[in-house]
Amino acid sequence: MQNPIAPLLESANRSILGKQHQIRLALCCLLARGHLLIEDIPGVGKTTLAHTLAKLLGLNYQRIQFTSDILPADIIGASIFDPEERSFKFHPGPIFNQMILADEINRSTPKAQSALLEAMEEQQVTVEGKTYHLPSPFFVIATQNPAHQIGTFPLPESQLDRFLMRIELGYPNRNAERELLRGQSRYHLIENLQTELPPEQLKNIQQLVNTVHVSSALLDYLQNIITFTREFPDYPCGLSPRAGLSLLNAAKAWAFMDSRDAVLPEDVQAVLPSVAGHRLRSASQDSGAVVAPILERVNVL
Amino acid sequence: MLASIEKNILLFLLISVGLIALPHIYHIPASIFGFFVLLLTWRFIGIWKPSCLPGKLLLFLLTVGGLVLLYSQHQGLFGRDAGTRLFMTALALKLLEIRQERDLYLIVFLAFIVAASQFLYEQSIAMAGYILFVCCVLLGTLVAINSRRQNTLNALKTSAVILAQALPLAIVLFVFFPRVEAPRWMLFEDKSRAKTGLSDSMEPGSISDLGFSDELVFRVRFQGPIPPNAQRYWRGPVFSVTDGKRWTAAKRYTYTAAAEPDFSEPAYRYTLLLEPQNNNWVFALEMAGDFPPQLHMNSEYLLTRSGNPDKRAEYPFTSYPSYRTGELSGHKLRTNTQLPGPASQKITSLIKRLGGFDTRPEQFVDRVLQHFNRENFSYTLTPPLMEDNPIETFLFETRSGFCSHYAAAFTYLMRVANIPARVVTGYHGGVLNPVGNFLEIRQADAHAWTEVWLENRGWVRVDPTAAVAPERIEQNVNIEQQIASRNISFFSADSELARQLDWLKQARQLWSSVDYNWQRWVINYHSANQTQFLASLGIESLKQMLYWLVGLGALFTSILSWLLLSRKEKTADKVLRCYRRFCARLGKAGLKRNAGEGPLDFAKRSKKAYPKQTEAIDEITGLFIKLRYQKESSQADLSRLSERVDQLKIRRR
Repeated sequence: MQNPIAPLLESANRSILGKQHQIRLALCCLLARGHLLIEDIPGVGKTTLAHTLAKLLGLNYQRIQFTSDILPADIIGASIFDPEERSFKFHPGPIFNQMILADEINRSTPKAQSALLEAMEEQQVTVEGKTYHLPSPFFVIATQNPAHQIGTFPLPESQLDRFLMRIELGYPNRNAERELLRGQSRYHLIENLQTELPPEQLKNIQQLVNTVHVSSALLDYLQNIITFTREFPDYPCGLSPRAGLSLLNAAKAWAFMDSRDAVLPEDVQAVLPSVAGHRLRSASQDSGAVVAPILERVNVL
Repeated sequence: MLASIEKNILLFLLISVGLIALPHIYHIPASIFGFFVLLLTWRFIGIWKPSCLPGKLLLFLLTVGGLVLLYSQHQGLFGRDAGTRLFMTALALKLLEIRQERDLYLIVFLAFIVAASQFLYEQSIAMAGYILFVCCVLLGTLVAINSRRQNTLNALKTSAVILAQALPLAIVLFVFFPRVEAPRWMLFEDKSRAKTGLSDSMEPGSISDLGFSDELVFRVRFQGPIPPNAQRYWRGPVFSVTDGKRWTAAKRYTYTAAAEPDFSEPAYRYTLLLEPQNNNWVFALEMAGDFPPQLHMNSEYLLTRSGNPDKRAEYPFTSYPSYRTGELSGHKLRTNTQLPGPASQKITSLIKRLGGFDTRPEQFVDRVLQHFNRENFSYTLTPPLMEDNPIETFLFETRSGFCSHYAAAFTYLMRVANIPARVVTGYHGGVLNPVGNFLEIRQADAHAWTEVWLENRGWVRVDPTAAVAPERIEQNVNIEQQIASRNISFFSADSELARQLDWLKQARQLWSSVDYNWQRWVINYHSANQTQFLASLGIESLKQMLYWLVGLGALFTSILSWLLLSRKEKTADKVLRCYRRFCARLGKAGLKRNAGEGPLDFAKRSKKAYPKQTEAIDEITGLFIKLRYQKESSQADLSRLSERVDQLKIRRR
C-alpha cells in the first residue's frame, strides 16, 4: 500500500525543520479525529505548524488570537440587527472554519475558553436557540503558554481531556536553527505549499484508520496501562474511559501511518506521552517523564 | 427456563446418568430398572420433542407410580437395596422435571449418590475404575453447564484434569484420615444373597450334582517355600455326629479350647486373606500352630473368628504339617465312635473280610484304602442319588461319588471297627498365581476327608479320595474344576490356539494378582490395618495423626503457595509461550527484555547485540506479531515460530 501520508510528512518537514516526531504526532492526532494542544513558549513555530498542516490538507484555516478580553461571541459569532430586513442576522465567527488555530488559549478567561471547547466537543454551535453545524473536518490546534508565564488562566483538567494530544515543540536543534536562519521566509514557503491530501481523501483515511485491527492481546496491554494509571500512587487521578478510547484511536492512527494493519504495543507507547501526559499531570511540561513509569513497569506481553 | 438449557448439555447429562445406572442392572429388579429406562428414554425423546414431556399432573401420577413400584418391591425404605432403588427412582423422576439450571445441579448430585451406592454392592478394581470414569463424565456435565462451552471433549478434558488433581488429595485422605467403622446397622446386610461355601453339615447322599463355583474363598501368600499339593489341606468344620445320612458337628466342642499338639518341623509361615464368608470359620493349613489372638481354636482344631464374617480379613499363620495330638478323653472317644444304630450284616462282613476288629487299626486303614483302590470305585461329581441308607448303597451298589461320599463311608467303616474317626471338611490344594506368588483357593477346591485317632499318634489325616483318585490329591489335576474355571485346554499343547490360551491364562493371573493387592491394600484397609500401617510410620495415636495431617497440609499449602507466588506468570497462550522461550534464550545470553519493551523494540535491540542473527530475530518477531496482534494467522505460523525459536542459537556475549 502506497502510504498517502508519506509525501505530506515530507512537505511538512521541509517547512518546519527538525520537528519530524512532533509533526507526525500532530498528523496522527488529526487522523484520529482529535484536537491538538501545543504547549510551548512563543515563537518556536506553533503557528507555522498549524498553518502548514492546514495548507497541506487543503483546509480553510482561521487563526483566533485569544486575549484576556476576548468574548465568546468573538469566537462563535453573533446575531446582529439588520436594519434593512428588520431582523437579527447571525454572523458566523472565526470558528466556522475547518482548521482553527486557537493561539494562546490560556490567556483568555474561562468563559471564552469554554465557548471554544464546547464547540470542539459537539461539533456544533448553538446561538439564540438555533444550532449551526461546524464544517467537517473540524480540527482545532490550540496553543498555550507555559503556566508559569504571566497572565495565564490554566485550562482545567476537564477541558484538557478534550484534547486528544498535547505536544511540546521545543527549541530547534542547532542544525535546524541554522537552516532556518539561512533559508527563506517561512511565510512565503507556506503560502506556496501544494495541497497534498484533499479533505475527501482525509475522510477516507480517517475511515481506514478505524479498520486497523486491534487484537485482544493489545487490548490487554492497553487495559493494563489504564489500570496501572488508576492504581499508581504518583498520579492524582488515572486515565478516564474517554482517555482510554483516545489512546486506542491514536495508536490506531499511528499504526496506520506506519503502514501496518494491526496495532502493536509500540504504537501505544509512541502516542502514550502525548495522549496521557496532560491527562495524568496537567502541570508538568515533560510528558515523557510523566509516563515513564508506565512504559517501564507495565508488561507488554 | 428450559429453552435456555442447551441441547448438548442435556444430552451429556442424560448419557452420564445412563452410564451411572448401567451397573445397577445386576442388583435392581427388572421392574424398577425398566421404569428407570422408560423415563430416561422419555427424557431423551424430550430433547428433540419438548412437547411430549409430561405435565405436572402426569408427573405426579408417575411419582405415585414409582412409589407404588418401590413399595411393592420392598415394603420399606431402609436398607441398602431399598435405598438404592429409591434414589434410582427419584433420579429418573427428576429427569422429567428439568426446568431450571438448579434442576441440572440436583440431578448431577443425585447421580453422584447413585454412583457411590454402586460400591455398596461391588468393590472390585474394575468397578472402581468404571465409577471413576463415570464421575469424570458427570463432572464434565458440570463443566459443560457452567462454561457453556460447546465442545464436549474440552469439558471432559477439564473434568479429567480436575479428577487427576483431586486424586493425590484423595489418596492422602484415604491413608491418613481416621477410618470410621460403620456401625452394624449401617452395613446394609442382605441375608438373601446366597454365598456358596462350606456348610455346617454334610449329606452326600442327597446331592446328585455338585455345582462348582469359581468364587474365591481365600488367598495365601507364603513366606518361603510353598508346601506340596498333597499337604495343602485347609482345615474347616469337623463333623463327628451322624444319623447315617447327615453329618454334623458335635455341639459341645464348639467352644472348648484345643490342647496344643506337639509340632515338629518344617513350619510354614503365611498370611491368609479371607474373602467374605457366611460362617465365621477361618481356614488354616493343617495344623495351625501360631495364629492371631483374635481367633479361637476349638478342641477339634477348627479356627473361628468373632465378629462379622461378611468382612474380608487378613491373618498371619504358622502351620506345621507334621503334628501329634494327645490322648482322647472318654467323652470324645464316645462321640467319635458314635453310630446311628448297629451296623448291617453286609457292612460287618465287609469289615471282617478286610481284617477289622482283629488287626491293628493302621493296618485296617490301609486295607480299607486298598479296597477303595482295587475294587471298582470311581470318582465323580455327578453321583446317583442315595436317599436311604446312603453308606451301604455307596459301598456296595453305586460305588461312585465325590470326596464327601468317600469321607463319610470311610469314617463310618472306621467307627464300626471301633476306631475313633471323624469327617473333616475344608479346602484342598489351591492354584498358585505365579505373578503374585500366592495361592488362590476357590469354592471348587472344597474337600472332605477323614481323621482317624490312632494310639500313640493321635489324630491322623486319612484321605480316602486319594485312594480312588490320587491325581485329585497329588497333582491337583481336578479336571472338572478346570473345566469349570475354563482353564483347561482341549487343544494340543503346541497349537497356536493353545499358546494364545496360555497368554490369556497369564493375563488372568496378572489380573488376579492386581485384584489381590487391591483387596489387600484398598478394600481391606480398615481401622486396624490403618493403625498398624500408621504405627509403622511412627504415628501411634489419633491426636498425633491429626497433627501430622495439619502439619502436612500446612507444609503442602505453603510449598504450593510459594511456588505459585514465585513462579513466573505462566500462560496458556502458546504463542506467548514460544516468544517467552525466545526471550529466555536471549536472556540467558545476557540480553534481557524489559517489562515495558515491545517486540519491535526488543528485536531492534537484540539485532544490535547479535547482528548475525538478524534474519532469525526478524522472522521470529514478525511471526510473533502476526500471531499475536494481527487479524489473521494460521497454525502453520505457530509451528514455524516454535521451530524458529528452537533453532535459534545464541552464544553468550
